[in-house]
Amino acid sequence: MSSVRDANASSNTKPAANDSHSPPPIIKAAIAKKQPPPETSESVWTRRWVIFSFWAVAIFLGLPVWWKATAIYRAELPLQTMTDWADGKICKPVFPLRIAVEAPALPLQDAQHLVRTTQHALDDLNEFSAHHLRLMLAAAPFANASQETVGTTNDNTIEPFRVPRDKDIALSIRMLPVESGSTPRSELQQYSPALDVYYTPNQIPPPSSTSSPLATFIANELHKVFAEEQATLAHLLSTTSTAHVSKIKSLSPEFSAELERQSTRAFKYAPTYHLTFSLFSPTSVPSDWEIESALQQYLTPLLESFSSISNFTVDTQVQLYATFSPSMRQPEFDAELNAWTLRKEDLSGFINAAEWPLSPSIGIGPTINFVLYVPDPSQSPLLVKENGGNSWLVPQWGGVRILNPTVSGGAPSTPAKLDKEALASAMHTFSDQLFSLLGVPQTPASLPLRLTTLTRVRAASLVFSASSTLSALARLYKALPSIPIPDTVAKSVDLTTAHLQLACNDLREGRFQGALENARVAEAEAEKAFFERSMVGQVYFPDEHKVAVYLPLLGPVAVPLVMAALKELKSFLVWIKRRE
Amino acid sequence: MVSFFIFLLLVAVTSAAASSDYSERLLLRPLPQSALLASFNFRSNESSASFEHQNFRYFPRSLGQILQHAHTKELHLRFSLGRWDADSWGQRPWDGTREGGTGVELWAWVDASSEEEAFSRWLTLTNALSGLFCASLNFIDGTKTIRPVMTFHPEGHHHNSSNLHLLHGTLPHEVVCTENLTPFVKLLPCKGKAGISSLLDGHKLFDASWQTMSIDVRPICAGDGSDCALEIEQNVDMVLDMDRSKRPRDNPIPRPAPIEEIACDASKPYNAEDTCYPLDKGEEPDWSLTDVFGKPIRGACPLTNSDGDGSETVCINVPPERSVQVNTKGSYVESKHAEDTMRCYQLPTGDDFDLMLPSQKMTTGLVRSQPPLTAARSINGHGQERGSIQAVITNPSLTEYVEFVYLESLPWFMKPYLHTLRARVSTSTENPVVETYYRPAVDRLRGTHLELLLRIPPVSTLTLTYDFDKAILRYTEYPPDANRGFDVAPAVIRLVSPQSQHSSRGTYLRTTSLLLPLPTPDFSMPYNVIILTSTVMALAFGNVFNLLVRRLVGADEMDAFGPRGIKGKLTGRLQRLMRAFKGKGGKAE
Repeated sequence: MSSVRDANASSNTKPAANDSHSPPPIIKAAIAKKQPPPETSESVWTRRWVIFSFWAVAIFLGLPVWWKATAIYRAELPLQTMTDWADGKICKPVFPLRIAVEAPALPLQDAQHLVRTTQHALDDLNEFSAHHLRLMLAAAPFANASQETVGTTNDNTIEPFRVPRDKDIALSIRMLPVESGSTPRSELQQYSPALDVYYTPNQIPPPSSTSSPLATFIANELHKVFAEEQATLAHLLSTTSTAHVSKIKSLSPEFSAELERQSTRAFKYAPTYHLTFSLFSPTSVPSDWEIESALQQYLTPLLESFSSISNFTVDTQVQLYATFSPSMRQPEFDAELNAWTLRKEDLSGFINAAEWPLSPSIGIGPTINFVLYVPDPSQSPLLVKENGGNSWLVPQWGGVRILNPTVSGGAPSTPAKLDKEALASAMHTFSDQLFSLLGVPQTPASLPLRLTTLTRVRAASLVFSASSTLSALARLYKALPSIPIPDTVAKSVDLTTAHLQLACNDLREGRFQGALENARVAEAEAEKAFFERSMVGQVYFPDEHKVAVYLPLLGPVAVPLVMAALKELKSFLVWIKRRE
Repeated sequence: MVSFFIFLLLVAVTSAAASSDYSERLLLRPLPQSALLASFNFRSNESSASFEHQNFRYFPRSLGQILQHAHTKELHLRFSLGRWDADSWGQRPWDGTREGGTGVELWAWVDASSEEEAFSRWLTLTNALSGLFCASLNFIDGTKTIRPVMTFHPEGHHHNSSNLHLLHGTLPHEVVCTENLTPFVKLLPCKGKAGISSLLDGHKLFDASWQTMSIDVRPICAGDGSDCALEIEQNVDMVLDMDRSKRPRDNPIPRPAPIEEIACDASKPYNAEDTCYPLDKGEEPDWSLTDVFGKPIRGACPLTNSDGDGSETVCINVPPERSVQVNTKGSYVESKHAEDTMRCYQLPTGDDFDLMLPSQKMTTGLVRSQPPLTAARSINGHGQERGSIQAVITNPSLTEYVEFVYLESLPWFMKPYLHTLRARVSTSTENPVVETYYRPAVDRLRGTHLELLLRIPPVSTLTLTYDFDKAILRYTEYPPDANRGFDVAPAVIRLVSPQSQHSSRGTYLRTTSLLLPLPTPDFSMPYNVIILTSTVMALAFGNVFNLLVRRLVGADEMDAFGPRGIKGKLTGRLQRLMRAFKGKGGKAE
């Protein structure tokens, strides 16, 4: 078969040359191909418009619809604010502590002067600027309201005000004039936030002097009382955020390690703790204990004093036939101590988690376990080998106490029922352990002071923890563009920042209880936002599946569209070239 | 002449044993065909004052906290497996009050001010119990929960019962296994380390022909409503096949005994050296606790009473002539009750205790007590669209009418038609349906709840039928093993009259569960649908698009555009090539 084009060409270019031996006219007519009518520019443009409108529909309608239909709702979050909170750019926590000075025996002028000089001495001692002790002259019981603010104007020192006693006073100093004994001396009240300072009247600084031994003494005492709190707060500030560089120099590495140990031991703050007291015995005795009255006597007052910080629920149980886990090294008999001993490194495996029913209590909040273990009479007394102790603390879990049966008539025998007296020592151990587990500082001796210190430390740590949760959420928001962010998260974030701001203001103004309340709300909201269920519940939808779903439709549709567009573009370019 | 003694019912024996804070009892009763019924019963009491203060002694703390958290006043939980063969085993233990339908069954009285609150507390309860017992109880949702009206009554003493809501849920598909037994045993004060609970072993328990574990918590009060206590009763009832249980664990494959040891029926025509029709030996098999349970009892649990009725913790119900040997190093006390058909033992503390019954030719036996009612239920019909349920309930009594409540809890995807409900009695034409309570299903929200009060004359059979439609589920609602079918919970039957003489708890009976085959789709369907619709759409689009953008010319004008198509282009190229080749060749010539 000869080429059509060739045939055409020959018939067109040389019609006369082949005349003599050309084929018959009919065949010639068939070979001389019929030309289609030239395409009108109108139809060319129609075609272009058609293709253009298809593309327009695909791009301006299809794409947006697809985009809208598959879009994931992501609420707007104030990312910058959230990161700023974590970086400490918005709030630098400060702890101005108000200390009331009660000096009913002193004339007002002398008292004010004493307060001023003591404040000077104190400011010289203080190395940690965020923690500031502010002395105030307490209102004398007989002073009426109009006399309350008698301030002197001074540039650098804080004006001593006569303020009424309220709960924002961290500590009150009672100036007590005495005639006998060594003076000045001080005494910290065990069960109230008060420091009694005894002095002889001649120690009162004369109005002309700028310093006096009494003022220095009081300042030193105060500094001592708040030393651990300052160190703890400084440590907290330095560890939780890079922005708050510790400004305290005297924090030795050993002391810092000790603080670190204390803080890892303690539970995280929670509004409610569940306390579980369990009696474990490898035999069938003792099967009963007077726990209710023991708790009533030894624990309830303690828990009541905590009530401004956290609430507690208490439950108890008796578990018999509790054996050690088989992986633990069994107690060995030590002839020297005449006792059965547990090695220190085995103490972590003492609790047989698989078999002992120490499941956490139901309800929000962590469970603190206290285990009273009464060993088998054949294995008693049971002690810790290294130090002969009988109790230990499991960090962030609870405490263990071994109660060895009393030896009566040569052989140790376990009573069927443990009475309150037998439980007394165990209860003391448990309350000590509870203090450590809740993060109560070791000093000072005054319990209310330690609790208010705990309030401040907790408030600060909650502020830090909520801020870092916020920044984690911000990072999550940026890192995972495919997770949905519902409006509730945005709302929670707003609430968190609002309450953080309130907590920060409260801290600045010395309202520590209010700061704790606000920080608690902030922390709860931040956690709620971070663990929002619909956010975590995003299913992994792999790209291969998308291809499998889209390709069967988009492939056959896209190919003609693209080809037509290319062809038209090409012919358009040719047309333009021709015109030139 | 063979004389008979009546089987003692368990309830008569153990009703007195609740005075102390903890009591336990095991009752063994050989059944025909070398089966052995073992009923374990454990009870603990906790005074309601210490329960309120969460001071737990014998009551398990984990369960107590769940009950308090969910405001549950009375709880009944059942784990069951297998079928009670009433024809050969007779009346059920505890009159059926301590057993559940196949799988898991839970009902509880929840204290709440409104129905919604009750339901949310019920969900709390099921979720918490699910974690405690390692069972899928959290799958008891609204579709599996009903509020029975006539079938269940509280067993405990409730003073302000106005706020109590009864909720009932079943999981017929749940397979009860060792992971449910372990937490069950942990709830006991002696924890399987001493006492009769030391016999509980998952390998034997779940190898039984029928077994049920139950937990019942109820408040019990003195007559005037004071001095209340919370009682937890735990039961394990099982029927062991002794031949099966005696097989060693390391070699459990059954093997025939050597032919010399088998007594063959020589009258059979096929009796030969290698073929044998074994004769019934007519003697009781020999067994011991160690044979059947794999271990002896490890002494008494010291928390039980040391004297009195509660101290006899193991009882065996055999005819007086059956010899029972005790194997223990410690001291024990044997006492006989009920015309010597019941032998009870005080266990030694700290020493193993075993009972051995040698093989013995018996002249007397014990009479099985007949169940007051038997029931069977099945699905009839064919196809994937509809079916019908048929329940056949027989009253074997010669004299008494039996009145009972029949409770069905059907899944929502099984849609019964109440107008097709027919109840016929074989001997009379009167309508046996006394009362009907029906709550229809709502798709995906709740299941059908049907309660009927029925009455059967003596020696009659009642046939209850109704039709139902099978729903088509959504693609994601099918379980992974969709072709296996869907389990339908057993029907619960409670006898209203005659009342049980033995206890106030009533008499219960449950049918077996049913397997409902539903139409199952082809699970690759979504992708097929995507591909098919896409193809159709692409075809339509391609046609329309081509019609619009292509230039149409006459067939004879087409050649003007040169060769068309791949074929044309290819041949054109080929010819050009050949021509070029030929041209060269021509020059070379």
